[in-house]
Amino acid sequence: MGREKEKEKPSEKALNLLRSRLSDPNFIFRPLSDSPDSNYSKLKFIISTSVTEACNNSILLLGPHGSGKVAVLELVLSDLLQQYPEAISVIRLNGLLHSDDNCALKEIARQLCMEHQLLFSKVASFDDNSQFMIAMLRECGLAHKTIIFVLDEFDFFAQGKQRLLYSLLDAMQSVNSQAVVIGVSCRLDVDQLLEKRVRSRFSHRKLLFLSPSKEDTERFMEHILSLPMDSSLPHNYAAEFNGRLKKILSDERFKELIDTYLSFNFTIGHLVRFLFQAVSYMDLNAGFLSLGNLKTALSSNQRQLKLESIRDCSVLELYMMVCMKRLEVKEQTSYNFYSVMTEYKSIHDSFQTSDYYAANVCLRAFEHLLQCQLISFIDNKGHNQSVEFRPVKLLISSAELHQGLKSYQQCPAILLKLMDR
Amino acid sequence: MPTETPRKQFQSPKKPKQSPNNVKSQSSTPSIHLSPQTPQLPLRRSSRRSLQLFTSKTVDEMLDLSTPRKALEALDGIGKCSGNNRKGSSVRTPRTLKCKFNEEDREIPEMGKVGEGNGEVSPEALESKKRKNGLSEEGSVKMGKSPKCKLNEDLGKLGEGNGDVVSPEKRKKGLRNEESVKTRKSLRCKLSEEEMEIPDLGKLGDATFFPVSPQALESKKRKKGGEKRAVTRAMATRSLKKVNKEEKKGRKRVYYKKVVYDGGEFEVGDDVYVKRREDASSDDEVPEMEECRVCFKVGRGVMIECDDCLGGFHLKCLTPPLKEVPDGDWVCGFCQARKLGKDVEFPKPPEGKKRVRTLREKLLASDLWAARIESLWKEVDGSYWFRGRWYIIPEETASGRQPHNLKRELYRTNDFADIEMESIIRQCDVMSPKEYAKANDQGDDVFLCEYEYDIQWHSFKRLAEIDNDEDGECANGDEDWNSCKEDDSDTDEDMEYEEENERNAHARPSTTHQLAANSRKGRFFGIRKVGTKMIPEHVRCHKQTELERAKATLLLATLPKSLPCRNKEMEEITTFVKGAICDDQCLGRCLYIHGVPGTGKTMSVLAVMRNIKSEVDAGSIRPYCFVEVNGLKLAAPENIYTVIYEALTGHRVSWKKALQLLNERFSDGKKIAKGDDRPCILLIDELDLLVTRNQSVLYNILDWPTKPHSKLIVIGIANTMDLPEKLLPRISSRMGIQRLCFGPYNYQQLQEIISSRLKGIDAFEKQAVEFASRKVAAISGDARRALEICRRAAEIADYNMKNQISSVNSSTVKDVVTMADVDAAIQEMFQAPHVQVMKSCSKLSKIFLTAMVYELYKTGMGETTFEKLAMTCSCLCTSNGEAFPGWDTLLKVGCKLGECRIILCEAGDRHRVQKLQLNFPSDDVAFALKDSKDLPWLAKYL
Repeated sequence: MGREKEKEKPSEKALNLLRSRLSDPNFIFRPLSDSPDSNYSKLKFIISTSVTEACNNSILLLGPHGSGKVAVLELVLSDLLQQYPEAISVIRLNGLLHSDDNCALKEIARQLCMEHQLLFSKVASFDDNSQFMIAMLRECGLAHKTIIFVLDEFDFFAQGKQRLLYSLLDAMQSVNSQAVVIGVSCRLDVDQLLEKRVRSRFSHRKLLFLSPSKEDTERFMEHILSLPMDSSLPHNYAAEFNGRLKKILSDERFKELIDTYLSFNFTIGHLVRFLFQAVSYMDLNAGFLSLGNLKTALSSNQRQLKLESIRDCSVLELYMMVCMKRLEVKEQTSYNFYSVMTEYKSIHDSFQTSDYYAANVCLRAFEHLLQCQLISFIDNKGHNQSVEFRPVKLLISSAELHQGLKSYQQCPAILLKLMDR
Repeated sequence: MPTETPRKQFQSPKKPKQSPNNVKSQSSTPSIHLSPQTPQLPLRRSSRRSLQLFTSKTVDEMLDLSTPRKALEALDGIGKCSGNNRKGSSVRTPRTLKCKFNEEDREIPEMGKVGEGNGEVSPEALESKKRKNGLSEEGSVKMGKSPKCKLNEDLGKLGEGNGDVVSPEKRKKGLRNEESVKTRKSLRCKLSEEEMEIPDLGKLGDATFFPVSPQALESKKRKKGGEKRAVTRAMATRSLKKVNKEEKKGRKRVYYKKVVYDGGEFEVGDDVYVKRREDASSDDEVPEMEECRVCFKVGRGVMIECDDCLGGFHLKCLTPPLKEVPDGDWVCGFCQARKLGKDVEFPKPPEGKKRVRTLREKLLASDLWAARIESLWKEVDGSYWFRGRWYIIPEETASGRQPHNLKRELYRTNDFADIEMESIIRQCDVMSPKEYAKANDQGDDVFLCEYEYDIQWHSFKRLAEIDNDEDGECANGDEDWNSCKEDDSDTDEDMEYEEENERNAHARPSTTHQLAANSRKGRFFGIRKVGTKMIPEHVRCHKQTELERAKATLLLATLPKSLPCRNKEMEEITTFVKGAICDDQCLGRCLYIHGVPGTGKTMSVLAVMRNIKSEVDAGSIRPYCFVEVNGLKLAAPENIYTVIYEALTGHRVSWKKALQLLNERFSDGKKIAKGDDRPCILLIDELDLLVTRNQSVLYNILDWPTKPHSKLIVIGIANTMDLPEKLLPRISSRMGIQRLCFGPYNYQQLQEIISSRLKGIDAFEKQAVEFASRKVAAISGDARRALEICRRAAEIADYNMKNQISSVNSSTVKDVVTMADVDAAIQEMFQAPHVQVMKSCSKLSKIFLTAMVYELYKTGMGETTFEKLAMTCSCLCTSNGEAFPGWDTLLKVGCKLGECRIILCEAGDRHRVQKLQLNFPSDDVAFALKDSKDLPWLAKYL
């Protein structure tokens, strides 16, 4: 027993290590940040010049979700906070939470108060808060302190009158302050959303976060997955682990697998999640990562959800969907429960199927389909109408339906026939 | 040592009660000088002995002159100043001075008669006259000036020293009121005529003087600037409250602007050396000139100062001797040797002669202190005091001397103390860095001060440039006006009192308040906590490169020295404003300024207002009040009433109340306070934001100027040209008459704007600037954009340069912004990044986009559904040997693209019926995907 425990230890340790690595953005993005062309060094340069040269800047970080905008920003901020302790205060806002101008300003005031150990009043009005903010900008400018406003989900701030952005940017162009406004957004057209007077005051630095190239991805995977040789892990174990990993990485099948994965999604965030899944599938007894783990992870990533929900349906529900499909073929685009029922009846009459149920049973099946989102109401109108009268729409394509029927085990043969006809 | 703040050790008696007006008295400038010169005394500085000598002598004189004084007392009314008290006074009571005045009091009758004719005498003339007197009449004339201080005192008593408005107290007692108003006016006359003191001016004024017309007064007051303000308004009202006949005398302090004390002339705002202990070193001889460190003699030839040890050297005492003072830094041989690690001894002074330390050396060795005079006054007992703001040497701060500190650097603290004048040694010069850089040979007592040190929080803060800038003075003046209005308005005094106290509490570092920082009641309480514990080194020691300087001047926040290319518009605004102010009626004055963003609208108006303000200060234009509102910074359009009312009166009320009060003021012509008859200029930025559904806000505001006697001038700024036309006709008829268009800048103008900022900085290629300005002119004509592009270009150049320096071969790099940098900046600013994203996105996304384009070409419809698209996708995939991933995966891919707004799509749960549309022109997609390496077949379908 004791020996077994000891044996298990290195693989468990390795698993923990890999998992902690994968959930640590610092480790993931650090190696990608040394070159001068990387967003990290560009962003760091812009922010640190505004700290040292006392100027105002506004930057947009753009890129799809999962491309590491916030992670890189946090990396830069933590570095700068180390480099200039005291000289930087960071105010973080999120568009999903603070898109209302009033609430955003209140939050800014609150965080400024927290940062400088001042007393904060909840009841202060919009004017009070904005004046306080401007006063603080000025004072911090005099004290050589930089305030960094991080506006995550920036597009939500660019709605409505944009009072917050206007007063922030206007203060930055008129007061002698040191402030950086960093907008983070996945919308590429976010600067078009700004009102023209706000846009005119925005300084339009843009950093684009793109997916890494294929070579980078491979290097990156090796960097993350290979175990360190000089850690507490047994040396031979680590060596063997790395050897096997290398073999996997150079395997043709692996390359194919990764290709299919990347053809679907290309961002680092997703890749990390994928690797995390793969690592979690690792067999602790064997203690090594295998190609199989990656495969399981991939297949669990590419589940065909609609097909799976067909698998859960009852035969009656299948009948109903087929009826709907037939109605659509007949170019009847709008149908409700009763029109489906007529079609169902007509099928029953012409083919004498064994599965014929009463209308109330069918209604239950219909409601279940609605819950599974295999069908949905066409519009949101008529909430007060009862379910059976509202027009619905099949959400699954005929090709998928066909595929689903085929893979359904007890599917009556008649259904497949009906599909074709 | 952090705890060793000067105040604690100072031994001269401190006043327990601080005058509540100290804050205000900083901004306003107490008038009138008092100059108790003592020519017959030896020129020993500031010892108590000398003062006593002086006073005792005056007592003698007073005794001689007792008769006329009595006569005057009879004149000045009975109860006000108790004669007994005066007679019995000892050397230290105010009587000493008053008695002195009596000498001149004899002249009263003549002077009084001279009346207004005399009033035209300019202050300078008076000044010179005084000086002449001082020279010729010696002993007696020193009192010749004192009357003025007396005037001051009475100004204090009567309140309204320079307020134009009757305070409520006065209104309450009608009779008293009339009297005092007259008094005030007569006081004014006297101020201008340099009449001497009469103990109770109130009575005397009634008897002799007639009120001058308000206008004249006004202009006079303006002409003389703040000079004539003896007492701040707060002080005035305060002391007015205390005009209680019995105790009036006991509570008064007389504030001065300038005091000639013991041979030195001290003014508010001067910096002085202050003795550290009364006993110490007062008898030390203070050398006028520094001795040479080599020959220990003074004043033989030119001396040069070592930048390290600050020692002085004769040029010829050096080895080898220097012919002239070299440029740049110079370090003496001793210091150089010490730096090299040698043991050096400075030459010892000759036997029997002790090396005398200069005041500067003592100060920097913290044997002395320096302080800035914030206000000057005479106590009731006749001693002269000033309120000093301490300077502190770097060694005394919590962080100690920092490596970047200069030798002659001081910090200004927020620590005040009331100090007797006699502890002053003499003046010194504490300068801002700019002045300091210019001050080459202004002697030894020159110091540099750039930061303020908070003794409570041990933190530093840069001194706001406002303190010594011209602009700053404007701002101060503004404050003055506002506060003026504040005091003039009809609130009860208690409220003012509170405000006053509050401000005081603010100024004083106290710890026991529970006020929140962000509520206005707290007046941003505690904001002074903000400060750095250490001044970061990079700020002080870093020498800016050309590129960095260019970046700094291109910042939007840097105010340009002049506004090029907007002369015509500025002239127009100037004539409009001036015409409106000078016109008595100024009926229906409204100017609508429009233009695209970044064309200098607001800036031009503000520049015009600055110019006019300086003219007002010079006295050529009547004063006015100026209110600036930004429509986008209001929480709701109606709040504009509150903001305007607050700006005019300093009181905050709800918008409904404010509307009612403003209506009273502007429509009904009810002028509550005296200052209300000034013309009021209202600048509304972003006017379009005030448009409400029924447009009542705009209507109200634009209706006021049409009312007679409203004296309101509205300048509205907005972007749209046809805003008046979009509004209701009754509004457009009021607003649309006078318009001014700020057209977008053309490229020459932009070029001029940029190069005027870059003057003297050689960081840009000429074509680069032209390129940027042409580009911006072609797109928007927005000056902000042009400046930002240039700044960004400089930043890019800087970035490249710094990176290349780190990667060794720096020979190829020139620190000049080239066309390429500008181009990169323009690309970044104007180009949407979607092409790059499309190029780098995943394979399936590319197929998806191609299918979208293909679908678009096929059907000619912009909008498609997911079902159709998926069909197309699977077609594309199967015919090109690509695996079709399945509908659900495809849906996810589509949603991802939708997130980035490369396509517009409905929510994903619509699935099959989800509507999709390209957000960018299909050509962009074609351009991006045409030569993708992993999917070459895409080109077929594009």
